[in-house]
Amino acid sequence: MLTKRENLMETIKGGNPDRFVNQYEFLDIILEAPLKTSPKRGEIVTNEWGITFNWPDNQIGAFPVHDDKHRVLKDITRWKEVVKAPSVEYPDERWRAAIDHATSVDRRDRFVTAFVAPGIFEMTHHLMGMEDAMMNLYEEPDCMHELIDYLADYEIRYARQYIDRIHPDALFHHDDLGGQIASFLSPAMFKEFFLEPYRRVYGFWKDNGVELIVHHSDSYAANMVSFMIEMGIDIWQGVMTTNNTPDLIKQYGGQITFMGEVDSGKVDAPDWKPEIIAEHVRKACERCGKHYFIPCLTQGLHFSSFPGVYESATEAINRMSRESF
Amino acid sequence: MAKIDDVKANVEAGKTKLVPGLVQDALNEGSAAADILQAMVDAMGVVGEKFSTGELFVPEMLIAAKAMAKGVEVLKPHMAGDASASLGTCIIGTVEGDLHDIGKNLVAMMIESAGFTVVDLGVDVSASKFVEAIKANENVRLVACSGLLSTTMPALKETVQTIKASGLTGFKVMVGGAPVTAQYAEAVGADAYAPDAGSAAVKAKELVTV
Repeated sequence: MLTKRENLMETIKGGNPDRFVNQYEFLDIILEAPLKTSPKRGEIVTNEWGITFNWPDNQIGAFPVHDDKHRVLKDITRWKEVVKAPSVEYPDERWRAAIDHATSVDRRDRFVTAFVAPGIFEMTHHLMGMEDAMMNLYEEPDCMHELIDYLADYEIRYARQYIDRIHPDALFHHDDLGGQIASFLSPAMFKEFFLEPYRRVYGFWKDNGVELIVHHSDSYAANMVSFMIEMGIDIWQGVMTTNNTPDLIKQYGGQITFMGEVDSGKVDAPDWKPEIIAEHVRKACERCGKHYFIPCLTQGLHFSSFPGVYESATEAINRMSRESF
Repeated sequence: MAKIDDVKANVEAGKTKLVPGLVQDALNEGSAAADILQAMVDAMGVVGEKFSTGELFVPEMLIAAKAMAKGVEVLKPHMAGDASASLGTCIIGTVEGDLHDIGKNLVAMMIESAGFTVVDLGVDVSASKFVEAIKANENVRLVACSGLLSTTMPALKETVQTIKASGLTGFKVMVGGAPVTAQYAEAVGADAYAPDAGSAAVKAKELVTV
């Protein structure tokens, strides 16, 4: 039996996998690394960028707060006065838990994986709100280019610190590029503002030992796949069924792999049922096949919002592997 | 009237800096304020349709709406007291338990551009708050409820059914959001469903002109 890492490589290269890659099994994501302060459920925190996040008890995640009192960037033309990237020089003790975790991983079996969130596009709207972030791309393009480059430079500084200490094999990077049925930006706008900065960032990780870039976007983003390939993304995690994934696999398989197709919104609920999850997993595997595809809940990271759903999906994928290989 | 055509074209193109001047030019040329407003409404209708078909995206819709808003500011003194220009009041909000707002904001913007007076209740809105808002506002013709999460679909159902059971009349209830379907809308008793912001504005106008 192939190791998880070997099986992943066979899957993404179109070789001979001996089972479906099972969700995130091939990635050992080092979540202990210092990154930014985030709220726990029920908390409101202001992070190192000055962005305030609220995680109400009855929600499945945190939201940035953008009322007048809390919005960091109200006038994009003054971004240099207002946006201050935090230092990436963390003391050694902040890295200890992450280093210990990475050291414990058998790299023949799994990829030691860095985690970065939020991404560059997300940071623009975390700082100034969704509407301003998008309108400023039209109204103040030069300032937006400057800000985006500043954010990319920060990511590269952070990457350098991370690579020096952890020597990751893979990167799992979060940046939602759309909603469920459409991308937020036109392809032309994404290309103009975000393609080159992301090529720089992902290129830096790859030039420094990272073998695999996994980009999370649980959305529609079929119109961005050619850019994902240019940016250096190896796996798009979060691909929803709205993307017509089988067609994407036909068109782009061999250049990029698609991870998802089990829409979390349809199966991850308080009253979840294993038979419903199994049905979605079966459809995903039968539609998408054994190459350039990894069945997975579309939610980011290796857990579900409601207990048991992730594990149930894992079991269903194992059953599909026994049937199909 | 060439200037009124320029107004329409430049609202569609989201030319926020040009539209106010063009609106003034159209007024100077003799176009009626109501006609200029209708040209801008028509422009947003085109934008909404192109958004629905995937030709335009969120930034284009936002910037076109901003261009129209700037044009409307120039028109306002010339339309003072003309209440007949409004299609009625639309109460809109994201239902209780859901904090997502961008989709709801886009719908609010498009419905306002179509000629409604919009009262935006924000996010995480209880069913009772929707009912209070209907009572508190005049000429409510439409109530629009948004929900993005499948986990807040029960709240969407409760909201629609609470509104319908309130005994208040004179308006229609429309629902939308990523997990919502036309079948679900019908099952919970809503009068209409729209899959996106562009379609929502079209549906809103249909509902009040039937």
